[in-house]
Amino acid sequence: MAAETDESGPTRETRRSGPLVAITRWMENLGETGFAYLLLTPVFVLLGAIALYPLLRTLELSLYTNIIGVGEPEFVGLDHYVSLFTGASDPWLPGTSAFLWGDVTLSSTFPFIHVEGLLRSALAVTLIFTLVSVFFETIIGFGQALVLDQEFRGRSWVRVAIIIPWAIPIVIQGMIFYLMFHPSTGFATEYLGAWGIVAETNTLNDPFSSLLIVTVADIWKTSAFMALLILAGLQSIDRSLYDVARVAGASRWQQFKLITFPLILPTLGVAILFRTIDAMRVYGLIDSVSSCTVVPSLSCMVVATFGSQRGLASAIAFVTAIIIGIAVLGVIYQQYKEGI
Amino acid sequence: MARVTLEHITKRYEDVTAVDDMNVEIRDGEFVCLVGPSGCGKSTTMEIVAGLTTPTEGTVFIGDADVTKLPPKDRGVAMVFQNIALFPHMNVWENISFGLRLRKFDTDEIDRRVEHAADIVQLEGMLERMPDEMSGGQRQRVAIARAIVRNPDVFLMDEPLANLDAKLRVHMRTELQRLHKELDTTIIYVTHDQAEAMTMSDRIAVINAGRLQQIDPPLICYNEPANLFVAGFIGSPSMNFVEGDLTRDGLETPNFSVEFDPSQVPNATVGDRLTLGIRPEDVFLEHRAGNLETTTDPIDAVTDVLEPMGDEIFVYLLLDESAERSMEDALATPNQLLMSVSPDTEIHEDERTNVVLDRSKVHLFDTDTGEALVHGIDDLPGPTAGADTGAGTAGTETRATGSGTDTER
Amino acid sequence: MAAETPTETQPRTDETEREGPLARWTQGVISDPDRRKLLYRALFYVITLFFLVTTLFPFYWLLVLALTPNSLILAGDWDLPFLRPQGFNPEAFVEVFQQIPFHLYVFNSFVLATATTIIVIVIASLAGYVFGRLSFPGRGPLMLAILMVSYFPPAAFLIPLFEAFTGNVIVIPFLGIPLFEPPRLVNTPGSMVLPFSALFLPLSIFILTTFYAQIPDGLEDAARVEGTTRLGALFRVIMPLSAPGVATAAVLTFIAVYNEYFFSSIMALGNEPQQWSPLVGGLLQYQSLYSTEFNLMAAASIVGVLPVVILVVVAQERIVSGLTAGALKE
Repeated sequence: MAAETDESGPTRETRRSGPLVAITRWMENLGETGFAYLLLTPVFVLLGAIALYPLLRTLELSLYTNIIGVGEPEFVGLDHYVSLFTGASDPWLPGTSAFLWGDVTLSSTFPFIHVEGLLRSALAVTLIFTLVSVFFETIIGFGQALVLDQEFRGRSWVRVAIIIPWAIPIVIQGMIFYLMFHPSTGFATEYLGAWGIVAETNTLNDPFSSLLIVTVADIWKTSAFMALLILAGLQSIDRSLYDVARVAGASRWQQFKLITFPLILPTLGVAILFRTIDAMRVYGLIDSVSSCTVVPSLSCMVVATFGSQRGLASAIAFVTAIIIGIAVLGVIYQQYKEGI
Repeated sequence: MARVTLEHITKRYEDVTAVDDMNVEIRDGEFVCLVGPSGCGKSTTMEIVAGLTTPTEGTVFIGDADVTKLPPKDRGVAMVFQNIALFPHMNVWENISFGLRLRKFDTDEIDRRVEHAADIVQLEGMLERMPDEMSGGQRQRVAIARAIVRNPDVFLMDEPLANLDAKLRVHMRTELQRLHKELDTTIIYVTHDQAEAMTMSDRIAVINAGRLQQIDPPLICYNEPANLFVAGFIGSPSMNFVEGDLTRDGLETPNFSVEFDPSQVPNATVGDRLTLGIRPEDVFLEHRAGNLETTTDPIDAVTDVLEPMGDEIFVYLLLDESAERSMEDALATPNQLLMSVSPDTEIHEDERTNVVLDRSKVHLFDTDTGEALVHGIDDLPGPTAGADTGAGTAGTETRATGSGTDTER
Repeated sequence: MAAETPTETQPRTDETEREGPLARWTQGVISDPDRRKLLYRALFYVITLFFLVTTLFPFYWLLVLALTPNSLILAGDWDLPFLRPQGFNPEAFVEVFQQIPFHLYVFNSFVLATATTIIVIVIASLAGYVFGRLSFPGRGPLMLAILMVSYFPPAAFLIPLFEAFTGNVIVIPFLGIPLFEPPRLVNTPGSMVLPFSALFLPLSIFILTTFYAQIPDGLEDAARVEGTTRLGALFRVIMPLSAPGVATAAVLTFIAVYNEYFFSSIMALGNEPQQWSPLVGGLLQYQSLYSTEFNLMAAASIVGVLPVVILVVVAQERIVSGLTAGALKE
């Protein structure tokens, strides 16, 4: 290349050679697209190995029966999915019949509407947990955000106090609520039990009580996250709009209804979607407060079965991925509309 | 040694051609301005020389070396940027020595060179400051010091004065010229300001729509523009253009005619559509053009708006009274003419008057192609004129006569 | 309150004087803007206090438990509603490290979180540079794909990863072509750092993309002309100038790993510190093996929570700006 012809300029480095120089030179001469994809290689490798490959492999494994310690894997097609939805695989699954109320049986020949057995309890648990926790987190988070949006002395300390639950490890969050309701230590059972809110004895083994406790624990921890997202939205509102409204004679409530709420709505939508997706993955909290047998979520079922019936576990994992994937599509659509 | 040569440089983005078959040779030690309207490709051209952009086609030589595929750091170039681009997280010393430290110069050498560079741009005693503690002019000096400290073969300056206020800009212009004299390095300077280009450079390269229009010394670009674009771009206020038809007696425009022998216009035949160009300072009031021998016939005009500038007065003339006075794009409409007269001239608005053009300063362009055909036209049609027809020759004459008449106004 | 207020239509005569003090006060609030402001203020402080109590009470509960001797906890004689420690037993905070080597679990958590943070910052910096500063075909879809990955449930990745980390041969899905036999990664940091990096990478990519995009082009060009490569300009100029963004991404990644439960509890098979089991393992160990040592569980929780509390107090600005920039992509 130019290295031979160039004899001038003391500051030039063209005469240096060696593999490193050659590689750098090659990289520098890549076009923008080539350079972009080169730098993205580590991302592709990591996400390919840790996300894409497992996802596909999960789908493949779900088509085989693979009982740990018993013989070779055997191709069974969609049998696992069918047995999941008909309740035929219940013996493998954890959980109680507590969440099996209602009768979804529509057709005994079409398994995808005919959701029987313990999968339904997992769906019910996940759905109830998600809806209730996200609902209250949104309301409480909104309240916290409105407080943090005010100017007052000690605001940054109040903000720290409100954020802290968000930052603590799930296992400690679980531990706190475990200790609150444990029969030997819990002070809360006595009170709430007397009011009939939770079971008076053996609270953490009672499905409904445990689901309630887990949901409250999640609301306690994650409202702060909602609050931060909503606060960001609040602070991006042009303050002069409020002056305009005041001059026009709007009361505080009217200002909130006519300015704050409509302007915060898109932010709120995105935040709720994110939280919904996140809540549907719940596992650790349940595992540390109660147990997967008492309150079986979808992720719980995967963990509980993968040590024994790996094919079935894969099928549950894939069903979970699909359900969450639908919610993810919602987010993606949102992002697409905003234009990345 | 530090010649810069561009051969057939073309840069295409997805749907636009930013630079189109650019061929330039910049001599060692020369100060060349790339000038043109924004978006014309001048900055892209400079980025290609720097190596920040790779050309789609063509070759870049610095000295004798083909540097087309070399990264910027290995080209022996230094650059001063429009937004100054000092690293905000480094102090002045760190900024200036950045390139040297990357190249692992030893500390004494770095100190010596930084000191010297700071000396040249008069930054003594400021080496510890951070960029945000300095004024715009000081920051610009740091940027220049950062460029000169490496003794580059070629200096690239991308509108370095664009972000400075007017007064400082004029001052920095002279500083840069002094610097060029002192360093004797090749400088390529990008600007959209034709006045900057005129005052500083050895040669001006006028670029439009990705194509090189003309590269010549400033006065040649001024007096012998290669085409309509250069004629209109160089000089402020802009040249007057009037379209007309070439007849056997000269040029016939809607409002006046200029008589000459059409055979002295090369590459044009009677009946062609031509554009006449005349600079405001080459238009005279008839009674004040006494000493000038090369005048055209008087042209009827009415004065419209006067713009006294102090050292001269710009007079907007209407050639056709009946025509609507149009405010927009006054210079392009054929019934208007801009004239520059000396400040002591007795002149009023809405006054009927006669003007003449300096025939030796008339430029004729082919309307369709925009190419210049001739600069300065000879006297009345007759047997005496029309012997030599080359545009270049005619231009040389123009310059000779031009210097005499300048003081006359 | 409304019941006690006089009907609004009544003219405000001396009648108000015959009303109770509460009614008079209410009347005053309705008519007097100054008092109304005061009411808003009071209401505001009440609400703020309520939020503070609800968020901080659980921590107080931990402290009460940790300081109360275990025998008294088991007696369960809390004088409600004002909970306070029964006795004072700070030895629990020493005992917590003696019963099991709890410090080793915390140490493991730190190592895992630090390693993940470094990997994430390096890879996310490259990606942030690409998405923030280069334009190329496929940019939008790629960003969406990366976003998607971060929202899939870890459970959907668990089974194949567990198989791979226990040393089973990697097979191309559906083709059955064996690729290679991976090293046995369970019980090593790798089995956790790899999934953590993949899961928490997208957030950092989005944060750094936002920050890197804001550095003026001129600075990068200047660095390159002065003698760096494009990558050199990233690490010498763009990254130092985006230090706040890098810090934000690092803090959030660190907290996320430190708090992670799913892979942390599964990939260290026996919850033993020698198996690189992090904080989660230590606490689960207390919950399962020393299931009556409630004061130690509480003390261990406090010890485990301290590092993040300190981090949050120190870096709260960064966390707030990072969460909002990363999650909402503004």
